[in-house]
Amino acid sequence: MTKIVIAFYTAVILVSCTGKTGESSVSASEQVKLEQYLVEGRTLYLQHCSACHQADGKGLARLYPPLSQSDYLEGNVEKVVCNIRNGLNGPITVNGIEYNQAMSANYNLTPLEIAEITTYVYNSWGRSDGLISVLEVEKYLKNCSKD
Amino acid sequence: MKNKGSILLTFLIAVIALSCDLQTDKKLPYLGRRQIANGDTIFHTIADFKFVNQDSNYVTQETFAGKIYVADFFFTSCPTICPVMKTQMLRVYERYKDDPQVSILSHSIDPQHDTVALLKSFAGRLGVESNKWHFITGDKEEIYKVGQTSYMVSAVEDPTEPGGFIHSGAFILVDKQRRVRGIYDGTLSDQVDILMSDMDLLLKEYD
Repeated sequence: MTKIVIAFYTAVILVSCTGKTGESSVSASEQVKLEQYLVEGRTLYLQHCSACHQADGKGLARLYPPLSQSDYLEGNVEKVVCNIRNGLNGPITVNGIEYNQAMSANYNLTPLEIAEITTYVYNSWGRSDGLISVLEVEKYLKNCSKD
Repeated sequence: MKNKGSILLTFLIAVIALSCDLQTDKKLPYLGRRQIANGDTIFHTIADFKFVNQDSNYVTQETFAGKIYVADFFFTSCPTICPVMKTQMLRVYERYKDDPQVSILSHSIDPQHDTVALLKSFAGRLGVESNKWHFITGDKEEIYKVGQTSYMVSAVEDPTEPGGFIHSGAFILVDKQRRVRGIYDGTLSDQVDILMSDMDLLLKEYD
């Protein structure tokens, strides 16, 4: 019951905040959704990704590439989504440094969970690219190359 | 009344003496089965071994003569706990980098896949020096045997596990006499904090 009340107040506050600016392109409900994705995304990130990429997203030495301040993320959402689902083999270059440690696949993650993780990664460590929705992710997953 | 006072005084002195004793003489335990022979206690020790490291050099018990070392078991393609273990072991490496009395020994439990070349690349990417941190490969049965019988940790193949192996995330602290002095969970940073303070304590035994 308290949870519902808190959620309601949070929603009210968020609505009123965005309402005041009036010119925000992000609607209130989208803002709430983004917050939900980020909370879930962070939990999932810590479970599935942080062992290698670290909780602060900085990676480990030249073994595991950074996600924080990473040029690999730039305009590469589709690829990132596919990597989370199918893993990655072979060398990649991130910020000019070559990495070649296999990334494991995560076939157990649902499209929603992948969307939440991707949203978290794209809205952390200085980035704020906004929501990457489950619908988008489902579309990307259909087009992942099978190699 | 006088009597009571002297008892109290004796008690206080005993407490102070005991606490001093604890501070200066705290010693790490000796782990594993011990035997009594001719009235002497013989502690469990690491058996002789011979493996190959990332530089294609043989690594044996002689490599660690005059050193304390931390051992673990991992494989480079491990998707689960190994990256965390390597992150934590890197902390140990960084802290004792310049201490010639300290060494690290990481055993691959997937030696067919983890060739010398692959371990060389792995260590290089981790940015560590070979003479300090040995990554070894070799006969799989020998590696599993030394893990189970000497270091007292489990390592077995299991195709149902992600990556194909189940293994312990333990870090094992070995003294200069090849005795096991502590076993820690290498996936938890506070356990590794304890390991490092225990290493300081162990090094004091050799001052």
